[in-house]
Amino acid sequence: MTHRLASFALVFSALVGCAARADETAPPAASAEARAQSLERKIETLSRELDALKNELKQVENQNEALAAQQQQQAVLAQQQSAVQNGGGPWDRLSLWGYGEVNYYHPQHRPEDTQADLARAVFGIGYRFGERTVFNSEYEVEHAVSSADDPGEFEVEQFWVDHRFADWGAVKAGLFLMPFGLLNEHHEPTNYYGVQRNFVETLIIPSTWREGGVGLHGDTVSGFGWDLGLTTGFDLSKYELNPETPLYGRASELKEASPLQATHQELALANAQHLAQYLALNYHGLPGFLFGAAVFTGNAGRVDRSAHLPDSRLTLWEAHARWRPGRADFAAVFARGTLGDTAATNALNPGASNPLPGSFFGYYVQGAYDVWRRDQTRLAPFLRWERYNVGASYAGLAAGFAAVPAGFPQPYDRVWTYGMNFYLNPHVVFKADYQSFQNNADFTRFDLGVGLNF
Amino acid sequence: MRGHGAWLWLPPLAVVAAYAPAQAVVYLTVEQAQKEMFGDEALTPLPLVLSAAQIAAIERDSGVKVASPIVRVWKAPSGYFFADAVIGKHDLIEYAVGLDANGRVRGVEILEYREAYGGEVRNAAWRAQFDGKRHGDALRLGEDIQGISGATLSCQHLTDGIRRLLATYAVAIAPR
Repeated sequence: MTHRLASFALVFSALVGCAARADETAPPAASAEARAQSLERKIETLSRELDALKNELKQVENQNEALAAQQQQQAVLAQQQSAVQNGGGPWDRLSLWGYGEVNYYHPQHRPEDTQADLARAVFGIGYRFGERTVFNSEYEVEHAVSSADDPGEFEVEQFWVDHRFADWGAVKAGLFLMPFGLLNEHHEPTNYYGVQRNFVETLIIPSTWREGGVGLHGDTVSGFGWDLGLTTGFDLSKYELNPETPLYGRASELKEASPLQATHQELALANAQHLAQYLALNYHGLPGFLFGAAVFTGNAGRVDRSAHLPDSRLTLWEAHARWRPGRADFAAVFARGTLGDTAATNALNPGASNPLPGSFFGYYVQGAYDVWRRDQTRLAPFLRWERYNVGASYAGLAAGFAAVPAGFPQPYDRVWTYGMNFYLNPHVVFKADYQSFQNNADFTRFDLGVGLNF
Repeated sequence: MRGHGAWLWLPPLAVVAAYAPAQAVVYLTVEQAQKEMFGDEALTPLPLVLSAAQIAAIERDSGVKVASPIVRVWKAPSGYFFADAVIGKHDLIEYAVGLDANGRVRGVEILEYREAYGGEVRNAAWRAQFDGKRHGDALRLGEDIQGISGATLSCQHLTDGIRRLLATYAVAIAPR
């Protein structure tokens, strides 16, 4: 615009200059008059154009002012909006969520053991203290009713505060989920295939596994996630060496077979004399892939604190991988735990029906595929093969005694699971599966379930 | 790590943590993201408040709800720059999307992230999946955009947000 005005001014001054010179030197009157008239016309035209340009300029200026005002208004609105989003009042800082599942288990060979169960109902409460500090907690009722006469439990599953101190890391403290395997931290029923969680991540990684303590964690732009910390650990004094009846008799009770499920403390007046350490690393730098591994080690005390027995060290490690190309979803987890210095304890308790194992392990591979999708609804059949052994080795067993008494279920198995998840939407899932147990054939069962998460 | 002495590590850790400033962690400011995507080009804000008809058209097109009629968009000689926010699980993720002159995604940057979980979306390779995408491409998580296990909600909501911005471009900016 200014450029156009400047050139116009140049032309105008040149013309005026020409006109002035013409006056000084023009002898023939008629032609001089004609030239003067033509010049006058030109000047008139130019001055009209100049007026038009002035108007145009004014319009542009007005437009600019309007735009600036609009921008200012926009900035104010955006600011107000972000103030609302970042929350002034307590309700804006609060977040609520929940998940749960209702299941049906039908053992094929023992129909009298068929059960229906509100397996878990969980509600979560979060609160944001500021831009960098957030509190998360989850409360869970297992098996519907919790009282002295009922099988249920009420438990605090998470209760921790997370504070981001830099762009590269955050610190967490309280009761938090351990970053092991594929589902311990993401254990909502919509996140796994099959009515019940797989056995490797139930018996070897004792999900939902949480400890009290502090941790540091973060993610890099290149796709590395890291998490390490100091926490409470397991307590062998909770271990039952000599139950008179088997601890479990059907697949839905298998959790009781796990030495870690038996000795985890869940921060219920947990013995905190000894600290455990953990380290978890994940790589998710290739879209669709996840690889990770984690290790946990800590002194787990001894079965009888008054006895002169050595303390046992518990070490658990795992590796996991997941690959989700398009509609397919492949996953694999390997986990292994060891318990040191168990020989003296087992030797002191000859014939115990549930001796302390020196090691336990499990692994699975799983594949699923979305055979049908419409909007958010999808049907995903899956297949999983897993192997677990919660008593892979024993030390110090007295001669002539078996690790497992006759008539008790075997602590190891190979299990095929065939089934499907039908997602009505990402938050509601209906499940059906058939589980075939190779060793404890009595456990073979058909399951149905409905799960939700919001 | 014998005995209870190890717990004595906690107080110094708390002090280190408390030393951090109180504002949200800003991975990139809007200006930095603009420079990342458009170099030294001059960006001018493009005032844009969506009409009810435009909002309806964007929602129909993208399948994503439009939370605010105000679009934070800048025009550069070689494209457009959007700054936007979506909810991760509970809190806002601030992000930016650059488009080239043909409306193809030139880059996605995470500006601010507040939640304890799901920060994996900052991963460069994940964001690069959007490069070259334009309005009309399917842009569905689990199909043409691969998710990140453990950050499914953040991935889902960012993918939805970018689909909404591409629809916004097609409805309200491209026809200008």
